[in-house]
Amino acid sequence: MYDLIFFLVLLLLGYVFGQRAEKSHFRSIIEREKQLRDILVFSERRIPDEDKLDGTLVCGSVVISVDFFKRFVAGLRSLVGGRVSAYESLLERARREAILRMKEEALRSGAKSVWNIRLETASIYKGAQQSIGAVEVLAYGTAVKPR
Amino acid sequence: MAEYENPQLPEGINVSPTHPLKDFALLVAGIGALLIVAVLALSLLAGQLARHIPFEQERALAASLGRWLPQPPDSPLDQQRQHYLQTLTDRLAGAMELPPNMPITVHYSSSKTVNAMATLGGHIIVFQGLIDTLPSENALAMVLAHEIAHVRHRDPVVAMGRGFAVLLALSSLAGFGDGALQQWLAGVGMLPILSFSRSQEEEADRTALQAVLQLYGHVGDAAAFFEALARRQSLPESPTLFNTHPDVEQRIARIRDFSARQVNSDRAPAIPLPAFMKAA
Repeated sequence: MYDLIFFLVLLLLGYVFGQRAEKSHFRSIIEREKQLRDILVFSERRIPDEDKLDGTLVCGSVVISVDFFKRFVAGLRSLVGGRVSAYESLLERARREAILRMKEEALRSGAKSVWNIRLETASIYKGAQQSIGAVEVLAYGTAVKPR
Repeated sequence: MAEYENPQLPEGINVSPTHPLKDFALLVAGIGALLIVAVLALSLLAGQLARHIPFEQERALAASLGRWLPQPPDSPLDQQRQHYLQTLTDRLAGAMELPPNMPITVHYSSSKTVNAMATLGGHIIVFQGLIDTLPSENALAMVLAHEIAHVRHRDPVVAMGRGFAVLLALSSLAGFGDGALQQWLAGVGMLPILSFSRSQEEEADRTALQAVLQLYGHVGDAAAFFEALARRQSLPESPTLFNTHPDVEQRIARIRDFSARQVNSDRAPAIPLPAFMKAA
């Protein structure tokens, strides 16, 4: 019985705090994306006018924890299959945050655009039993500024 | 570089637009329903299999469960009562043509509980509180025959098999309650765990009526216990134990119906209970 109460409290805490964190994170992401719209990012490998530019490696990484509620819903989803919407929003946040941090680094180095950007994801605590787990997204690319 | 630009993208491309709580509710309801159906099917299957456990095995299991039956009575009066109950039970068992390897053991308890129960291994427990509500030996015989019928139909072992399967399934699925299985095994002889279904009760009533008819030639007073029960239930403080029993009124009606179909119904006098059976 106490197990069940403990579980429900965890679920409620996970939902309340997880959703609050997610909402405010998305607000912050949208706000900062507007501010950094001047920094352009491309996955294109070949940089136009390469010989007139200076390139540096920039990267941004973020680690976001799964909350208890998301993990439980995803666990149920894994029984029946389908889109794991609980994790979709989590990864969306992580990707956009990583690109934003990379853009901020590019801004500090005085670059106007980042080329050849790549995204890497890693699951932290992968395979560890009874742990909540977290996801890391790393964005990196070549920031260029006029020579 | 004029041809390169980052257009403003609309929100919500990579995220399903479902509300997390709706997703949660759908999943919990769907998987919960599946689980209930699966556990129900498992329990029915386990009941069917448990029916085929040899009675010797059931007795050995009941003996291995420890001291869950009432202590043998020590006062001479209680021993006399126990002996009387056992004699009546043996007469009924003879009338019911039980299989030869199915001995019924009656345990008398001086507790005021208004109940009698059949449990694993052919053990029947009769409480003094029940005997006090009964007007005659015929009424007591009906109750005893009902419990013997449960044993004969293997209802206790079926109930045990079902309970065990459900508990095993739930604890292995959820991964919680390691101690629960042991607790359940220790308490398996207790009545609240071995509950019989409505159809099992009806079947036991039918068999018991036949036995009483065969032994006494009539089924007068057979409904006495249920009538007493109905009177008690109309009181505001009815014991919760009886609330699980199927409709008492219906059972009384069924017994009266059976009795009306007998030629010499209710004309023969009921045999009174011996004086020592009533509480002082």
